[in-house]
Amino acid sequence: MVGGDPVRIAEIPVVKNRIRVLRAERDWSQAEVADRLGIARQTVNALEAGKYAPSLPLAFKISKLFEKPVEDIFDSASVEE
Amino acid sequence: MTKSEQARPTNPTDAAKRLYQIRFWLGIAAYVAVVLASTYALNNGLTGTWRIVVALAPLVPIAVVFASFIEMMQRIDELERQIHLEALAIAAGVTAMLAVTYGFLEVAHLPRPSAWCTYAVVMIAWWAATPFVSRKYR
Repeated sequence: MVGGDPVRIAEIPVVKNRIRVLRAERDWSQAEVADRLGIARQTVNALEAGKYAPSLPLAFKISKLFEKPVEDIFDSASVEE
Repeated sequence: MTKSEQARPTNPTDAAKRLYQIRFWLGIAAYVAVVLASTYALNNGLTGTWRIVVALAPLVPIAVVFASFIEMMQRIDELERQIHLEALAIAAGVTAMLAVTYGFLEVAHLPRPSAWCTYAVVMIAWWAATPFVSRKYR
């Protein structure tokens, strides 16, 4: 493991989303979103970076927080078939 | 404290980790106390069934810490739980590989290690694998 990525453990399903934009519109910090959702700030960061696909319950919580339908926040077209 | 901070709910992930840290250190303190007491009792003429009971007594605080760990894992953030579970899966695999490897070496008459070694390998491998796994989510 010299340079580059280490051994790949598993493929991460990338789901693009608008969380960063919606958070900026409300002038909320990542920590504030994390507290409102009851998750870790690092998880908000991973979600915004598209490195982590949330569970369905968390996706619904995000939808409720930003008062937008799930499909308006998460881009279904970004999921590979 | 600002108004927005007052309005924020307590983060359950942070609360779960804080509670676990308190229980963990209380459990470790209890473990040390029980180990010292049981070692003293075992070295001072305790006999019969009580010897076994006292020798196993340190398992009680360990069980309390383990139960707290399970509770913490159920209450923490889903990504953190996933990271820990992936790291534990790697740790289990590493431990199994090392156990099998050393099993073959025992055939070559290498000394049989203490059962504590398995515990140490799992914990060290878990500790080492956690930042490795969390890196892919950054």
